[in-house]
Amino acid sequence: MEFDIQGNPDYGQVRVRLNPGEKFIAEGGSMAWMDSAMQSKARLLGGFFRALLRKVTGGESMFVGEYFSDIGGEAAFSPSTPGTVLQRTLQGDSIILTAGSFMACTPGVELSTKFGGMRGLFSGEGLFFLECSGNGELFFNSYGAIIEKEIDGSFIVDTSHVVAWEPSLSYSIQGMGGIKSTLLSGEGLVMNFSGTGKIFLQTRTLNGMASWLSPFTV
Amino acid sequence: MHIEIADNGAFGSALVSLNPGEEFVSEAGSMFRMSSNVDVDVTTRSRSSGGIMSGIKRMFAGESFFFSRYIVANDEEAEVGLAPMLQGQVALIECDGKTRWVCGGGSYLGSTVDLNIDTQFQGLRGALSGESLSFITVEGVGPLLVNAFGLITELEVQGSLTIDTGHVVAFEESLEYSIGKAGGSWIQSFLTSEGLVMNFEGHGRVYVQSHNPDEFGKTLGPMLPLRKR
Repeated sequence: MEFDIQGNPDYGQVRVRLNPGEKFIAEGGSMAWMDSAMQSKARLLGGFFRALLRKVTGGESMFVGEYFSDIGGEAAFSPSTPGTVLQRTLQGDSIILTAGSFMACTPGVELSTKFGGMRGLFSGEGLFFLECSGNGELFFNSYGAIIEKEIDGSFIVDTSHVVAWEPSLSYSIQGMGGIKSTLLSGEGLVMNFSGTGKIFLQTRTLNGMASWLSPFTV
Repeated sequence: MHIEIADNGAFGSALVSLNPGEEFVSEAGSMFRMSSNVDVDVTTRSRSSGGIMSGIKRMFAGESFFFSRYIVANDEEAEVGLAPMLQGQVALIECDGKTRWVCGGGSYLGSTVDLNIDTQFQGLRGALSGESLSFITVEGVGPLLVNAFGLITELEVQGSLTIDTGHVVAFEESLEYSIGKAGGSWIQSFLTSEGLVMNFEGHGRVYVQSHNPDEFGKTLGPMLPLRKR
């Protein structure tokens, strides 16, 4: 299987060339074009009940599409929002994605929905995260560009800018400084990450764009 | 006539340099700069034929009712800069006259006056595709400008290619297409929310856009407040 990511940082998409018998899994609705020999099948993402729960609480799609072809072929996939697409090779390790950041993967990648608990609820990132583990290629996306940051110690990020992080990091939710700065800084809640590992941040948020646009609706 | 595409990526635009006597046509509202020796004429037709009806038909193709026509007013060189509304790339297609080009929903930006612009009613196919009821057809020899949401990729079809209806920018009319479902069945199509695709057959070129404007609208829309009635 060959991958080619094009269009970053503003309009990232991934082109995939499949050999006969190989499979590629992508978020529902992300297929832009494909050789007509390609076939697709709907698959549940991360188990039925979790998928259903995620649908109800997070508004994410329950199903992903599995793409394959008997004679091989090419296809292109894009996320629903403009932004960056990143590829990460998993070799027995794992990475945690926030709701909506998952885009595609190869079949060796296991996807499991993780309940974020109250921390998840307060983070504004949704109640659920997606833990990706196993062996294979993973593709995730952001709104805006992606900044990769190696953390050693502790690091504070705005909750809505978090795209993904390595599970060697742990986090807690906190206000931005005191109660006054939490309410007035416009930052709301932040996530305080600690440990050693990498974090992926998006430089814009769709919610921010929406609230900027909102006064213009007539 | 010389056309330069500025800034690939989210904010593409085109700069058209015109010699005396040359004329260019664009979708109304897309001019963002021009030299002072250009006369602009707002018209419902690209050439001498057609009238009000061609403007109305164009609206069914997701385009504006009017064309802007740029005429060089004196014997000096002139320039017109065109920028589309959607964020994305602008591409230049050199029409060679061998086959007509078909532009999907809203992707026509401008063309030389030598090209004949018409609309083609797609009938049920168009209504089903979710693109638009009709497409813009472009006939003749000369440069054509198209715009897109995101990155534009040129694909050469030999045999068949399946494209999500929201990703088609323009294609050569030598290609036949039919509307179909993306998955193996309607249920599969629905579950993966892939909806409808255009199945292209034959030999020719297709321009596709990396992103689907409707998908983005559907993602952003629910975050906006309700309209006041």
